[in-house]
Amino acid sequence: MRSERARHNKIIFSGTVGAGKSTAIAALSDIPPVCTEAVASDETAALKKTTTVAMDYGLLNLPDGEKVMLYGTPGQERFSFMWEILSEGGIGLVLLINNANVDPLKDLENYLAAFKKFIASTAVTIGVTHMDRAPEPGIDAYRKKLAELGHDPLPAVFRADARNREDVATLVKALLYTLNPGLVDA
Amino acid sequence: MKASAERPPSRHHQLTAHRESVMSRHTTLPGPHLTALYLLHAGSMDVRLISLSVERHWKHAVRLVPTLDEARVVLVDCDRPGVEAAFEQLGPYPSAGIVCYAFHPKDHALRFPNRLILGKPLNLDALPGILAKAANDTAAIKAAVTARRQVPAPTPTPPMAAVETPSSLGHGLHMDEERDLCGAMDDIPLTPGTPLSEKLFFAPDQYLIGHLSRAVEQAVASGRPHVISGLPHLIGVQPQPLPVCVTAFRGNQLRPFSMTQLPHATARIVSALIFSESVGTETVYAAEDFLWNIAAWAARGRLPVGTDPYQRVRLKAWPNFTQAFLSPHALRIAALWTRTWASPVEIATQLAIPHRYVFSVFSSAHFSGLLDRNAPTVAPIAVIPVAAQPSPSPKQEQRPSILSRILRKLLNAV
Repeated sequence: MRSERARHNKIIFSGTVGAGKSTAIAALSDIPPVCTEAVASDETAALKKTTTVAMDYGLLNLPDGEKVMLYGTPGQERFSFMWEILSEGGIGLVLLINNANVDPLKDLENYLAAFKKFIASTAVTIGVTHMDRAPEPGIDAYRKKLAELGHDPLPAVFRADARNREDVATLVKALLYTLNPGLVDA
Repeated sequence: MKASAERPPSRHHQLTAHRESVMSRHTTLPGPHLTALYLLHAGSMDVRLISLSVERHWKHAVRLVPTLDEARVVLVDCDRPGVEAAFEQLGPYPSAGIVCYAFHPKDHALRFPNRLILGKPLNLDALPGILAKAANDTAAIKAAVTARRQVPAPTPTPPMAAVETPSSLGHGLHMDEERDLCGAMDDIPLTPGTPLSEKLFFAPDQYLIGHLSRAVEQAVASGRPHVISGLPHLIGVQPQPLPVCVTAFRGNQLRPFSMTQLPHATARIVSALIFSESVGTETVYAAEDFLWNIAAWAARGRLPVGTDPYQRVRLKAWPNFTQAFLSPHALRIAALWTRTWASPVEIATQLAIPHRYVFSVFSSAHFSGLLDRNAPTVAPIAVIPVAAQPSPSPKQEQRPSILSRILRKLLNAV
């Protein structure tokens, strides 16, 4: 893992279309997030009215005046060329998977592959969204898939509501502890 | 949810009948050393839990009485509407001690100054002593007031607010929620050999978690729904397609109920013929999350009886911490324990935290099926203990790492 000094102060949110990346950033950000959303005109239109076409940007203001940027990547795979650029130098990845998609486990596999290099040098936590209306596959199915893909130890996988600040914060906290369990939280 | 067993009487009837039976049982056992307790303004669930505790553990210390006339001490639930009217009932009984309890005692301390207010959930180990002390202190005050009327010289009398209570009782005005949730157990020796205190362990069969664990096991093994009956609400277990638990228990009911020891005959596990979800006010929980939480509340920083705290184990996976109970340091513990084989004592040592926090996670992981006990024979790769990491320079000590600062921000903001 890269040293903390070498990292930029940014956390990357990525995941499938409609998984709640923009919402999660809005839930956590101290500023109104800057969204580059546009009216969806492709197959995404069937899923949501607007979609992120470049990136979302939010901010965590730390007490000492320092800022941590929250970057959301565009969900559509045709924008995947941006993922690497956006994630460069980031602290870690929060990956959101829409459980209501046709094959969310395949989505998981695809995104982990796309961010393989970044995750190898940092860490990832996974939030599974929309489980209220699509309870399957369950969290354990995600763990099994991660094990199949060779992740050992398994990254944290939580059921998440992207609108819920506490859920999003728990994902980020798990990311930080994955990077360093020795962080003191009290 | 329908069970194949005979339909039990209505809950209201059960509660009333149970309360009456408990009352009558204990009112026939008078004794000078027993604290006569009256439950004022307590909900039916609390009445049942406290009655069970009296019946099972306190029969030599506390007896429930059916009227205020007989009470030496009164326990009052401040969270229920109309508590002011309830206090007015106490006017004619100045000799009765008063102990209150509430979820947020500090809030109620402003409403009811000079009242002793305990925090919920009540610490059942400490409660009989507190009740006895409140009863005795009130009697002492009354005696002192009587003596002052007879003797001109003033006699100082201790105010109720000065009642000294044990620090570990979940006491409202000094409430420390961590103690309630993880107990106050001291660390155990770092190496095996010394006999361990029995207080370190709990018997799951005496708690809801024991019944729930068996119900889930039976449901998964048989592929058929099972139901735990005999409690104020049913708890259903549906094994497929994903194991879930369904109950009308609310969260604030489940926690105290999980912490309380249940008599063996209280809960029954029966195979259910028909199972339907989301009926009325029932809530559906993933079985793993449900087991995690119920186990954490029962354990309170202890280990299931029979556990070797020096045996190396590993977490198979992170618990679903957006739903599972987050005890202190649980995220740190999970981060470390998913990547290394270590005993609970070793994890606590590496993170430099009290053992009870790791024991809490261990107990939950044990019951939710997240514990891997098959440690490889090859020695695991050592994880660098926190204490062994390179010492930061003085400049770095003044400025925590960016990860620490983000963490603090999140902890303060959420």
